[in-house]
Amino acid sequence: MSQHEDEKLDAILRSRRTEAPSSDLAARIIFKAQGRAQVQNVSLWQSLRQVLVDLHLPKPAYVLAATLILGIVLGFSTAPSNDSTTDLYSASAQAFLDDEGLL
Amino acid sequence: MPVAWPDKDDSELLALVQHGSHPAFTALVERHTEQFYRLAFRFLQNRAAAEDVVQDAFLKLWEDPGKWQPDKNSKFTTWFYRVVVNLCLDWQKRKRPLELNEDMPLVEERATADQAMLHHEEKNILEQAIAALPERQRTALNLCFDEGVSNQEAADIMGINLKALQSLLMRAKTTLKKRLKIYL
Repeated sequence: MSQHEDEKLDAILRSRRTEAPSSDLAARIIFKAQGRAQVQNVSLWQSLRQVLVDLHLPKPAYVLAATLILGIVLGFSTAPSNDSTTDLYSASAQAFLDDEGLL
Repeated sequence: MPVAWPDKDDSELLALVQHGSHPAFTALVERHTEQFYRLAFRFLQNRAAAEDVVQDAFLKLWEDPGKWQPDKNSKFTTWFYRVVVNLCLDWQKRKRPLELNEDMPLVEERATADQAMLHHEEKNILEQAIAALPERQRTALNLCFDEGVSNQEAADIMGINLKALQSLLMRAKTTLKKRLKIYL
């Protein structure tokens, strides 16, 4: 391929026609963008806060829920445990019942 | 005192767009619409389609400006050229151009090649010959013969190195020279 052909092809490629765009193209784009919302890239903390906002409850509901949770926690913490005192009490009661012939 | 938006560079405007600034987006659109339209037109050879592609690209940018990250992409235009090129290629895939037959004579013989190239029909033949090139060769050609895009920037847009771009260009030109032999 000759240098002349290369130059001519380059000239042809540079002379490719381009139709002018509509004069209001930019204005159209700007106008359409005004009607569109942007995608919000939110963090995990922000999305959690949003969930809480969406699930908004009246204050008495929170008080009730907190009371229930407190009750459950206290209930578990004061439940009878299987320590040695309890075992001794059970053993002596068993012995008493045996001696009396009740069992 | 009002902010002179046209005086801000692209990355400054983009940062404002990411905070929902319409004036910044307006400045960006007014600054770049024609340049991206020109590239889209080179690909699509159809004004309405090229306008649609540019509009889509800018609206996508507005809706999710976080897609452009200054750390990853050195220049907004390089990144946005890539967006426009991809939209053009998608458009072309949806509406494939006429396949050219390799054996079909593309042009009639004429007395002078320069005169012939001025003819509308022959310009269409040039466009058909370009449209028939493989996708990457066509992209390289359209980018490099677009005003203001250097070979290095074209390589960056395509995500290849300069040598690979030059190779694509050479192959594209060789094919075109064969097809347009009568004019050269």
